[in-house]
Amino acid sequence: MTVDLTQFHDAFFEESFEALDSMEAALLKLDIGAPDRELINTIFRVAHSIKGGSATFGFSDIASFTHSLETLLDELRSGSMQVTLPMSDLLLKSVDVLRAMLRAVQAKQPVDAQRVSDLQFDLELMIAQKSAAPAVSAGPAAAPAASLAPSASQAPAASPVSGAAAASIADRSATGAGGPEPTTPAGLTGRRWQISFRPYRELFARGNDPLRMMRELADLGHLVVRVDTMALPPLSELDPSECHLAWTLELTGDVREEAIRQVFEWAEGDCELMIAQIDAGTTTAALDANSAAAGARTASAGTSASAPASATDNATADAILSAGPASAPAVAKTEGASKADGPKADAKEGQVTSIGDSGSIRVSVEKIDELMNTVGELVITQAMLSQLGAQIEGATAEKLRAGLAQLERNMRELQESVMRVRMLPITFVFSRFPRMVRDLAQRLGKQIELKLTGEQTELDKTVLEKIGDPLVHLVRNSIDHGIESPEVRAAAGKPAFGTVHLDACHRGGNIAVEVSDDGAGLDKDRILAKARARGLVGPNDQLTDEQIHELIFLPGFSTAEKTTDVSGRGVGMDVVRRNVKELGGKIELRTERGKGSRFVITLPLTLAIVDGQSVAVGSETYIVPLISIVESMQLKSSNVSRLSGRGEVFSFRGDYLPIIRLHELYGVEPHTRNLHEGLVVVAEGEGRRVGLFVDDLLGQQQVVIKSLEANYGHVEGVSGATILGDGSVALILDVPGIIRAASLRAVA
Amino acid sequence: MKKRKQGTGVRHSRTKAHARAKSRARRTKANTTPGGVFALSADCTVAASAALKSGLLEVLREPTCLAVDIAAVQRIDTAGIQLIAAFVRERQSLGLQIEWRGTAPAFASAAHLLGVAAVLGLPERPS
Repeated sequence: MTVDLTQFHDAFFEESFEALDSMEAALLKLDIGAPDRELINTIFRVAHSIKGGSATFGFSDIASFTHSLETLLDELRSGSMQVTLPMSDLLLKSVDVLRAMLRAVQAKQPVDAQRVSDLQFDLELMIAQKSAAPAVSAGPAAAPAASLAPSASQAPAASPVSGAAAASIADRSATGAGGPEPTTPAGLTGRRWQISFRPYRELFARGNDPLRMMRELADLGHLVVRVDTMALPPLSELDPSECHLAWTLELTGDVREEAIRQVFEWAEGDCELMIAQIDAGTTTAALDANSAAAGARTASAGTSASAPASATDNATADAILSAGPASAPAVAKTEGASKADGPKADAKEGQVTSIGDSGSIRVSVEKIDELMNTVGELVITQAMLSQLGAQIEGATAEKLRAGLAQLERNMRELQESVMRVRMLPITFVFSRFPRMVRDLAQRLGKQIELKLTGEQTELDKTVLEKIGDPLVHLVRNSIDHGIESPEVRAAAGKPAFGTVHLDACHRGGNIAVEVSDDGAGLDKDRILAKARARGLVGPNDQLTDEQIHELIFLPGFSTAEKTTDVSGRGVGMDVVRRNVKELGGKIELRTERGKGSRFVITLPLTLAIVDGQSVAVGSETYIVPLISIVESMQLKSSNVSRLSGRGEVFSFRGDYLPIIRLHELYGVEPHTRNLHEGLVVVAEGEGRRVGLFVDDLLGQQQVVIKSLEANYGHVEGVSGATILGDGSVALILDVPGIIRAASLRAVA
Repeated sequence: MKKRKQGTGVRHSRTKAHARAKSRARRTKANTTPGGVFALSADCTVAASAALKSGLLEVLREPTCLAVDIAAVQRIDTAGIQLIAAFVRERQSLGLQIEWRGTAPAFASAAHLLGVAAVLGLPERPS
């Protein structure tokens, strides 16, 4: 009901329109004859990401068209074709057509097929004319895409029941189905599960039938079914192909959660699903204290409807259950709360729930950002007061300090609550994958099982929005390059079904999102050969595994033997890494030949606050993001060597790392220039490590990030600024930027 | 409405169907006999749901107690049950009654498994 695919559609359209604008601008800047490589890359990336997005959402016309466009652009990028005036005209026309197609799809209007196919023909003609070996035409790409449309006729296939079996199942479930109280019949042992199953409207269209799921559940144990018909519109307005019912189920029996999840496997992404184990005590208590549970419901509605299953949530679910169909408003409230999760979801559908009688309200992101900003300012003011308070002497000083301590506590709580408002479970991103994986697997003739775990892990909305594309790239890569075809897998002694696993969890102040597969893993030799062929690596250079893995993150690097509609043009990984870096995160790769690969993306929970180590250089304070720090140490003079022309290095765990003196970098007068008198912070970025030489370490603290770009301008090596407790401004170091700059200098 | 055929949603109860075959095309309430019987067809799945919906809409405001004959139902899914539940609920809110006629294991099983037996006013245990 809340997160249907249209929500992602909106984001996709928004991004695509923006991207097309930048593509147009780049095209207009493109010099005929002597094009700027970066511009071509920009144009290419736009085409590539629109292709990816439209393929994901099943907009096959757009995917097919952009594929042709991309093929032409790839010729430009590789230099095998030159930019000519007719070509730049053609490309600009393509932008117009793409825009028109996107608008048409957005408005659910038919696409002007004639115009599209004419232009696509022109594009392909141009490719064919210039290149000796014509690139992949759009033809084959379009054909499989057409089969993506979910066929409604899949649904009934699951329905037929043999009379006898149906009767016995119905008999088993009948006790609870009509009765008002969810009692556990005597003699039933095993665990009790509470399942809240709220399908999105498209559930039927995806070939899912809740009835089949209920039947499977009833086979697992004793099933009590409560239906929620609140969302059911009047018959005349009811679209029979949409699901408007929701269920709360109680399953008793010797059942593992895994088995329940399996029942809902195909509906994953098409429904809100909550599974919680309940023990008898909890339920009874919750039923007895119905009003208390109602209170809990309001509380959970206020924060997030998809909070992890906790005692409170159990109580909530029980309250709904015990009240049954009669308690209409209660059920409606829960629904209202979940609506608030997806602010965009309903805007276009014109089905806004009335604000007055739902337990939640919809607030624009701007307002929350304002709130966030004000709280940030308050935190700074509070820190200033605390510092002042510490200096005050006298009779009232003690009272003042007690008050300040309380202020600090409250501030921290306030800050956390405001941040929580912006937090959404990562399921908003994950839920687009089941469909994508299914479609891709079908198209590539592979058998793939998608495993999603940790969907309830919450993270900041901004981070959430930006992590989607990198994840799509990674999952696509896993499916296209990682997982082998069933025959190859069988030959290697692996199960025919390849597994792609998406996992999210909190690690300290960060969130780790993992994409792993049990496919072929990276072929180091092939990567190396390719890199040598492209001159990225000298013919005799010996690289470590990690350095080889680094290669796949370079722009334009792809080992795919032929480019497909899915992936293989090597734009993916460099974009992935750039996006992750923009979020202040990092991406790591572990892979084993024949066993699979695993990408781990570590991201900060929020972009507004960073955990930092404050360091002193002279009279200045700088903040080094903790995520970049490996360790800090004091150097012995004997560890330091000087290389002619390449500065100083020190030995660190068998490695030699360059030393970057922050006082030189920022032109500050330091307390000491002797390496052994100060400290070295070993920091990591761009896959490399350096030692940052500072005077002293001051302490770790969370700092509120103030954009330097917005208030001043971009400074190389600085990612932002913050205001310290004493009111002074401290710069936050951009460690990867510093390392880049340093390595450039070293080369020069 | 005029070109309705078997399997596209609803049809006459078997006894009256032949007698009224000719006049059916001209009638607006083609699915009710004068006695007020609405017969569900064998296929009540999402594939046939559009026809089922229009059939139900036609008899929604049938003022007399309407009998719904489920005997023919062979296949039914959540989409079908959902339509029928919406129909029954709306009849109730209009103060109009319905009565179930015939038995169909598939129908009863689906109604119970989906927890709508009470909404439909079906007996607690499938008959």
